Amino acid sequence: MSDDIIRPLADYIANEILKNPKRAIRPDEKLISSGLIDSFHLVDLGLFVEQRFGVRLDDGELNADTFDTLEQLAALISARKR
Amino acid sequence: MADVALAPSLAGRYTQAQLRNAGLFVLSVLGIYVLQPAMPIRQMDFWLPTAALLLAVVVWAATAAADRSARALIADGSGIAVVLLGIAGTRYIEPLSTLFTRTLAPDVLTVLLALAFGGAVALLIARLIGPRPGWTWGVLAALVALLVALKVEPLTQALAGALRAWQGQSVAAASALDVRWLGFSYLFFRLVAALRERAAGRLPRMSLREFITYALFAPAWIAGPIDRPERFLRDLRADFCFNLADSMEGGRRVAVGAFKKFVLADLLALFALNEVNALQVRGAAWAWLLLYAYALRIYFDFGGYSDIAIGIARVFGIRLPENFSRPYLKPNLTQFWNSWHISLAQWFRAYYFNPLTRALRTRGWPAPAIILTGQLTTMLLIGLWHGVTWNFAIWGAWHGLGLFIHNRWADFARARAMPEPPALQRALGAALTFHFVALGWVWFALPDPALAWRMVATLFGL
Repeated sequence: MSDDIIRPLADYIANEILKNPKRAIRPDEKLISSGLIDSFHLVDLGLFVEQRFGVRLDDGELNADTFDTLEQLAALISARKR
Repeated sequence: MADVALAPSLAGRYTQAQLRNAGLFVLSVLGIYVLQPAMPIRQMDFWLPTAALLLAVVVWAATAAADRSARALIADGSGIAVVLLGIAGTRYIEPLSTLFTRTLAPDVLTVLLALAFGGAVALLIARLIGPRPGWTWGVLAALVALLVALKVEPLTQALAGALRAWQGQSVAAASALDVRWLGFSYLFFRLVAALRERAAGRLPRMSLREFITYALFAPAWIAGPIDRPERFLRDLRADFCFNLADSMEGGRRVAVGAFKKFVLADLLALFALNEVNALQVRGAAWAWLLLYAYALRIYFDFGGYSDIAIGIARVFGIRLPENFSRPYLKPNLTQFWNSWHISLAQWFRAYYFNPLTRALRTRGWPAPAIILTGQLTTMLLIGLWHGVTWNFAIWGAWHGLGLFIHNRWADFARARAMPEPPALQRALGAALTFHFVALGWVWFALPDPALAWRMVATLFGL
């Protein structure tokens, strides 16, 4: 999966959500089901994706069923960008 | 996978998936009548399920837009008519008269009139709202109004009075207990999900038959799990044949669920906290015992019920979402709510919490204020959905504030890059979370604040 989608997402999650720039997030690390990103920050992540990639994530899509890892989120974004 | 050719396609004309889908459709329509208990108001065991069916048809009409093949529509509509007339027909055959409804069904002419009325309403809605997704708000508002009427006691009583007047019964004897509409609370969630997905442009096109099967799906009719239309449809359209593996797995889930619900939960019910023993209990130790029993009983009862629903659906190739995932072993309240009544929590996130958070975020509210507003109002609504009473509101507020406090703590810990807690700390967290939830159950189990306070005082030896 393209690094130019995963990297900004990983940076945003580490810096803005986890407030820990040193935290590396693996592409296959569970984000939602593990509780790493709470429901409030999930909406923030959705807004970030909208601003940065111009891809709208619907309120009903912000859940572990739709994406749970960086890989899955990046795949969703690149599929919609086309 | 070992395929067992249970129905080797009727004379080769239909696939097993087609037969299964036709069967699920008929069973789901029939099921809402069979499961509905009798009520003090005449024939309500026929009319309330019929109203549920009409609501599902109306929501389908409002969301289906221009996708209506006339032939399929006539076939599906006739299917509904045949089932309803079949139910009405049982009134003329003495030994069958209470096969589908608890009391005698209305006569065939009345049912024909009702079908014509329902068809006309659906047609009107389809013309008016079908092509205009923005107008689905109107249908949503009507559903919310109905839910409120069924949850607020004086309103339910007024509704009972109106229904009694219609049936020519004493209006003075009307009581909120007259209207016990089985399955409506959960039907509401599925219908709202369809309306919201439609407004967002994400609802897949569904035939009337598919939508009715989704909305009235028999295994999940009484209390969920609450599925999403898109996911349900994927299973319904996937290739299917009855197979041993799915049937065995489904059967196992049903057996496990039945054991939890009818053995464990029913045994625990003998000494679980209730209105009567809350008045009698003396001493903190006994009080805690009652409360622990209640906490376990409600889990095994609802978890067991969910297992049964998921297991039955599985036999037919429908994989309903999971509802519980070891909730009492979770180290904090946030994770508890990710694993208790999961499909309800997800519904509230998708259709209430996320839109609210998004709206407040774009208005520039500070994060803690948004989180408090979001968590507190979400949990209050979940509480009040159980019934509009002080105790359910207090239960909701208890959890909403608990979630907010945990969220702030987690934020604080994260900012200081605190390491993953060791096993002992996680175990202490789980014990603390369990007791927090258990104290919440005091308000859930008991009917009024005075009794609940008394119980809390007993628990702490006051």
